Amino acid sequence: MSELIRISGVEVEYAAKKVLSGINVSIRQGELVTVCGRTGCGKSTMLRLILGAETPTRGRVLIDGREHGRPDRDRGYVPQKYSLFPDRTVLDNITFGPMMERFWLFGKRKKEHREEALEYLRMTGLHESDAHKYPDQLSGGMQQRVAIAQALIMRPRILLMDEAFSALDPATRADMQKLIRDLWARAGMTILFVTHNIAEAIYLGSRVLVLGKEQPEAGSRVLLDIEIEDCKHERLTKLIENAVMCNQREMEVPA
Amino acid sequence: MTLFRVDTQINRPTAWILSWFLFVAGISLYFYTSQKRHLENPEDKVVPGLSQLSQGISDAFLKADADDQSATGDGFFHSMLWTDTVASGKRFLWAMLLLIPAVVLGLHMGMFPVVGQFFLRFILFFDKIIALSVLPVLFIAFGIDELAKIMLIVIGVTPTIILDCFNLTKGVPQEQIVKGFTLGAKDFSVTYRIVLKQIMPRVLNSIRLNLKAVMLFLFAGEMIASQNGLAFRIALLRRHMGMNVIIPYVLWVALLLFLVDLTMRVANRRLHPWFREA
Repeated sequence: MSELIRISGVEVEYAAKKVLSGINVSIRQGELVTVCGRTGCGKSTMLRLILGAETPTRGRVLIDGREHGRPDRDRGYVPQKYSLFPDRTVLDNITFGPMMERFWLFGKRKKEHREEALEYLRMTGLHESDAHKYPDQLSGGMQQRVAIAQALIMRPRILLMDEAFSALDPATRADMQKLIRDLWARAGMTILFVTHNIAEAIYLGSRVLVLGKEQPEAGSRVLLDIEIEDCKHERLTKLIENAVMCNQREMEVPA
Repeated sequence: MTLFRVDTQINRPTAWILSWFLFVAGISLYFYTSQKRHLENPEDKVVPGLSQLSQGISDAFLKADADDQSATGDGFFHSMLWTDTVASGKRFLWAMLLLIPAVVLGLHMGMFPVVGQFFLRFILFFDKIIALSVLPVLFIAFGIDELAKIMLIVIGVTPTIILDCFNLTKGVPQEQIVKGFTLGAKDFSVTYRIVLKQIMPRVLNSIRLNLKAVMLFLFAGEMIASQNGLAFRIALLRRHMGMNVIIPYVLWVALLLFLVDLTMRVANRRLHPWFREA
């Protein structure tokens, strides 16, 4: 698999406070990378750097070997909150992206987009009867399903999900995790998933990055970068838990 | 005692009585005072009685202005009240139309940092200027015609609307803007198709809440320099102690404002079915 994203020597400072320092990560095409760490360790900042919603103080973020500016249609985004436009129905939310690119006034085009949107709606486990509802008439899980459909219809090269399931109940969360695994297996796109839930990071990821601060005043670094094989054993969980809890790069892990 | 209990449940009849009580009390007090004054002086004009009021209403609603040479015929659409309402209404509509650029400016200030930086400090300063204090300047600069009156309303209300729109725009979650870009929208599409659409119901509410200010400045302009209009008539009748016409005029203005407010509220609900008022 070829390299898609390269983060090299990235540092981020807010008002002289270091958030990230010395981040060097390379992400290959088709990987599902989960990023975990404690609250405030800079997980979302790292995601926003790739998204283009933030610029590093030092270092570079390259996608396909080029520096990309502001967010664009190549990078899909599913945040934890405010993921849908409240003034549009489910169907209009999903067709928003395709409509942006074409002359939406032409009926035929509009019809095609709507049909495509309905396919994505079904793919994410929603019913056609939900198509004309407004976001506030949907549950949290349904809203996130729509947000995923909204992002997927654009066929982005990278899907960036920022704590996308953290507000969901455990059962819905499990359903959504399965959905993401299935979609990833089917579409083979590159996904970067930020979470503070270690079990979720291990279940979802083909690779797990743990961010953390070795010293309180320093910015966060990558403490752990593990490729996860199909077999997920307890030792791996312990290793990641130790990295998150103790903020240390190398830990003695019980056998 | 349930008067100051935060969890008091009010049944329908009690709610009805509570909400209409002050109206009934006010009207009763008025007629009690009127009757008392008329017992002392049957010619009293300050607090007109029912017969004086009905005479005033009939004069205002059905008769043309005696001083207006161009006024012909009788009936409501030739009446003094109707011609005054049309004159004030035109000024009011112009002022409302001029609020559209204010909304657009506030939106652009909130969305585009350069525009925001350029205008914000000036608008904040401008907002602190008491519009009535620049009235003489307006009359000198724009004459005493319609323009000066409309400019008075614009100067009085637009800074508030601009700043309100600016704050509403800034209040749209950043995630929505980023999301718009990831869905292929460009700057103006994000501004108008995402942000404006989301803030529009709140903008309409803000304009609704400023309706009284619009009328206040309109009345100030009309009272000082005008040949027609509702406030002109009230100012004119004040000189003749024409309370029997002033009171119906005041109630008419309140009714008109209530109807404009209601229309805007209903339109807001119809146009933005997704919007839930706080």
